[in-house]
Amino acid sequence: MSSLATTPAKRPTGEILFALVFVSVGVAGLATAGSIPIPPSETGIGPRAFPYIVCGMLVLCGAGVVLQVLRGKVGQAEDSEDLDVTAKTDWVALAKLVGFVVLHIFLIEPAGWPVAAAVLFSGAAWSLDAKPLWKAITVSVILALVLQYVFGGLLGVSLPPGPLLEGVAFFHG
Amino acid sequence: MLLLEGFATALQPVYLLYALGGVFVGTAVGVLPGIGPAMTVALLMPITYALEPAAALIVFAGIYYGGMYGGSTTSILLNTPGESSSIVTALEGNKMAKAGRGAAALATAAIGSFIAGTIATVLLTFLAPVVADFAVGLGPVDYVALMVVAFLTVGALLGASVLRGLASLALGLFIGLIGIDDSTAQQRFTFENPTLVDGIDMVLVAVGLFALGEALYVASKLRHGPVELIPVSKGKNAWLSKEDWKRSWKPWLRGTFIGFPIGTVPAGGADVSTFLSYAAERKLAKGANKAQFGKGAIEGVAGPEAANNAAAAGVLVPLLTLGIPTTATAAMMLTAFQRYQIQPGPLLFENQGALVWTLIASLYVGNLMLLVLNLPLVGLWVKILQIPRPYLYAGILVFAALGAFSVNFSPSDVGILLVVGILGYFMRRYGYPVAPMVVAMILGPMFEVQLRRSLQLSQNDPTALFSSPFALVVYVSMALIFVASWWLRRRQAAVEAAPAQEQVSV
Repeated sequence: MSSLATTPAKRPTGEILFALVFVSVGVAGLATAGSIPIPPSETGIGPRAFPYIVCGMLVLCGAGVVLQVLRGKVGQAEDSEDLDVTAKTDWVALAKLVGFVVLHIFLIEPAGWPVAAAVLFSGAAWSLDAKPLWKAITVSVILALVLQYVFGGLLGVSLPPGPLLEGVAFFHG
Repeated sequence: MLLLEGFATALQPVYLLYALGGVFVGTAVGVLPGIGPAMTVALLMPITYALEPAAALIVFAGIYYGGMYGGSTTSILLNTPGESSSIVTALEGNKMAKAGRGAAALATAAIGSFIAGTIATVLLTFLAPVVADFAVGLGPVDYVALMVVAFLTVGALLGASVLRGLASLALGLFIGLIGIDDSTAQQRFTFENPTLVDGIDMVLVAVGLFALGEALYVASKLRHGPVELIPVSKGKNAWLSKEDWKRSWKPWLRGTFIGFPIGTVPAGGADVSTFLSYAAERKLAKGANKAQFGKGAIEGVAGPEAANNAAAAGVLVPLLTLGIPTTATAAMMLTAFQRYQIQPGPLLFENQGALVWTLIASLYVGNLMLLVLNLPLVGLWVKILQIPRPYLYAGILVFAALGAFSVNFSPSDVGILLVVGILGYFMRRYGYPVAPMVVAMILGPMFEVQLRRSLQLSQNDPTALFSSPFALVVYVSMALIFVASWWLRRRQAAVEAAPAQEQVSV
């Protein structure tokens, strides 16, 4: 069994909130599905019926999970090879990772894909306690250049090389 | 004869090189801990973007088989197995490796995979055209029935929690609704947002759920410290002995004939078949061999590994002939096909015969390459398993971002990837299976089209959905599958409890 099930002291607030996400997506869908236009030529069940069914299903399943959790039947967290199920959730590492992905998104166009990728890699490795840091940064630069060469140069995937590498021919398709 | 033409294409030196590359990359990525076959296919999709269709399909055939096989190496050699389709292999394979018989376990897995993969591909070669001929006669009502079965088996049957599986399914259906309605060209749930009008790309959702979600989830509870690997011993005792061959060949064949049929029906693909094969071998073993179960019985590796690969080929039957993916991996394959304007379904063999037969021929080739590559390269796979975890998960993030960006070369797609990834994180955390969401997202729009077509033909009479004999047969079989699954689930719990008890008593 998972750590969630074996630690009875843990209150399943998060799990209930997540189940309510399903319910609210369903409710929002039910509320807006009525405004999907139906063309006058339509003779079948039209474009609204299936959205109603799907959103109804979301509401029912989400509510069902909430009931189950309230009765004490919490979800069984997924297992994985590198997972330490006894560890506490490291929210700081998660926030750092999400932050570096956001940074990556904003770097791709102004700085070029290789720079954005190197920042994402070294940032993520740092968030996960890679030591020493200079090694992670070296690896990230090499990896970013190799990927840019293989995908941008050899495979013809048009990754923007950015102002730094603009002049290097083999980084283009 | 068409197969021969397929071989003529697949055996061209350039294509052989593509197949080799696909198998190699597929296995290398599949070996990485935490990366299952579906994630392998999703992550490696950008590699094929620039290739022509035939080359891309060949690379995919290699990635598909390589990714399937890579997982078994992980579960045999790594102390902490996790991936579901190879978890049964881990039961015995891990024990064998600990007893110094890791090389034998890897060998019986590789040879079993090859034999099962080859026989299953032969079965696919003969069965697929027959099923396609039959499927030409199926109407929308029949497709509705088949897809209902696919939804329910993937959503309700396979996960630990029926409600969470169905919730995941519904969310996938909802995301599939976003965009323009296929039948009436009306916008649905787009909120006048130009990025949503085209719908959300399947690749973003799959990579987000499988790669980013998994990386975030593992990062949140990363096991620190050195990677615990079981050393692969060398020497005369390590390789398959005569006794091992004798004990392996029957499980290989049994695994094949358990795996292939289960792969072809929408009943869960690889996971179910490996478990069934394991249970069968455990039951059939006699004497001293039986006592070895739970302590490293070679039959327990040979059978499930063969079943796993045979099921992987079986899954291609409904995928190619009906266009219905029954596993998350198959859903990824379908996405890849659609990128090349290849629409699997009954007409595929007529319209794009040359391509399909090239694909099937390259399955044979890929299988052989898997065998040739795997045994000599065990040392390399061990090295890959030892990649320090911060680098591994940082690399997965970079690859996921690359895959998302290269769909449309738009940074906002990476933003969608991040949102889906965070969703995937919480789904894992709270025990929601992600596979139903991926399958639902791709099957949902097809299902709606067929459902509306059926109802239009019958003037909106819902009883028409049960009017065709084929659909009735499908619904009745579904009921039977559900009854059988209750029984199986109880058995599975018993089997999983048994080795644990033995460990306690030692």
